[in-house]
Amino acid sequence: MDSISYYLQTVLNGILAGCIYALFAMGLTLIYGVLNFVNFAHGELIMWGAYFLFLFMGEPFGLPLYVAVFPALALTGCLGLAMDYSVFRPIRRANRLTLLIAAMGLSVFLRNAAQFFWGAEVRTYGFEVKAGTQFLGLYLTTQQFAIIGVTILCVIAVYLLFFKSRLGKSMRALSDNLDLARISGIDTKRAILAAWVISAVLAAIGGILLALDTNLHPEMGIANLIKAFAATLIGGVGNLWGALLGGLLIGLAENIGVLFISPGYKDGIAFVIMVLILLARPYVIIGERSD
Amino acid sequence: MRLEAKDIYAGYGKIEVLHGASIRAAEREIICIIGPNGSGKSTLLKAVFGLLKPTKGTVSFDGKDITRLEPEQKVRLGIAFIPQGRNVFPSLTVRENLEMGGTVLGDAKAVQLAIEEALDSYPLLSRKIRDRAGNLSGGEKQILSLARADMVKPGLILMDEPSIGLSPRMIDEVYSKITEINRRGTTFAIVEQNARKALSIAHRGYVLDLGQTRLEDTGAELLNNEEVKKLYLGG
Repeated sequence: MDSISYYLQTVLNGILAGCIYALFAMGLTLIYGVLNFVNFAHGELIMWGAYFLFLFMGEPFGLPLYVAVFPALALTGCLGLAMDYSVFRPIRRANRLTLLIAAMGLSVFLRNAAQFFWGAEVRTYGFEVKAGTQFLGLYLTTQQFAIIGVTILCVIAVYLLFFKSRLGKSMRALSDNLDLARISGIDTKRAILAAWVISAVLAAIGGILLALDTNLHPEMGIANLIKAFAATLIGGVGNLWGALLGGLLIGLAENIGVLFISPGYKDGIAFVIMVLILLARPYVIIGERSD
Repeated sequence: MRLEAKDIYAGYGKIEVLHGASIRAAEREIICIIGPNGSGKSTLLKAVFGLLKPTKGTVSFDGKDITRLEPEQKVRLGIAFIPQGRNVFPSLTVRENLEMGGTVLGDAKAVQLAIEEALDSYPLLSRKIRDRAGNLSGGEKQILSLARADMVKPGLILMDEPSIGLSPRMIDEVYSKITEINRRGTTFAIVEQNARKALSIAHRGYVLDLGQTRLEDTGAELLNNEEVKKLYLGG
């Protein structure tokens, strides 16, 4: 492979990682916008989404991938609703620290639950690993084509939902100003439930794509949550397009970064970006927004 | 009587702000509530709209007891509330803000029709229809919040401090809009720091002090009342 294709391949890998981070980040930022807290259990929706697919593809269901995704996404949506119903709704008016700790506890619980059912070992969906097809001098596997294709479809769906449908617009309104949304007669409870379902489904889609391209393990959610959180911070919390862009930037920064530093530090890149942004805007986690 | 709030007690947590305040407004009337800072003016509006639950007292609308209804249900009955400051959705466009105001109209056609009507009666907004509401000037935001409330042609609009932070020219603009909407049949209850301006358009006014209604009279009479002049109109 000549050096130009090598760099292009690096950029492509960055975009692929970025697509997945973007799907995670959009869901995370949506909940932040609507409920005004960072859902640190979002990573578990990513992981559970991937495992639900594993469940429906394995015995006793044995469904093919294209069929199994639908019950898997639906169940993850329900898990999102269950998270809200059992943990977050009872403490809706609590301060951020309470919500943060509750989310972390929930995250540990869900990770251990997955480990209980499926074990701690790394698993795959059992597809053969095939060499990628060459495309404009770059190598892309079927899974990677799927990542790009599905992400584009999700972005279009998010656009249509949030900018063309009344429910989506009311979620944006809620995100702007909850009290004013109530005053305007918007059904805020329904909008919050919809936000949980959308956030969970986006997480599951990202988790499934990631697991198709790599593998499944109970830590896959928490490991990627940090990336998604960094992406959310870059985009400005609550901002859907910002999260999309932030996700792509993190993916690119990580992959281009390893051209210059040892790949062992790859995961550190997102951390560094996150720490720098938090130094400038600490209110995101610990306190009130100053606007 | 369109609106009747009788003997309202309300507050925040253990702190009681209103100790038996009463107001009423007839159909097509503009009433204004003036009083010093901390007298409970805004609290009274919130209690009427249901953002705060009164601990005692009753609120009725067209003769129906609405004291215990949620804000959403009051919107459906035709009561709109315009809070002080932060009263538009900043990241939504002007059109989307109006659309949100029309939420309770239900079907998309009715909302579309109401938006077109609003753009006819608020030419200032029709020029900015695609702008984000957050980029509008303070006066434009106040006009938008009026138009948003007006989307459902409510029977009653409760408005908290319409003139706050606005230039004198914009205050005139907002108030002329209020009288225009009122002439089409909407009752207004306005809480105002700018007592002179509010009393000049109000049919009747109330002076609230320490959580109780102290005075009640026509707008013109209150403007000429020596005590009101001395205390609230700057001599």
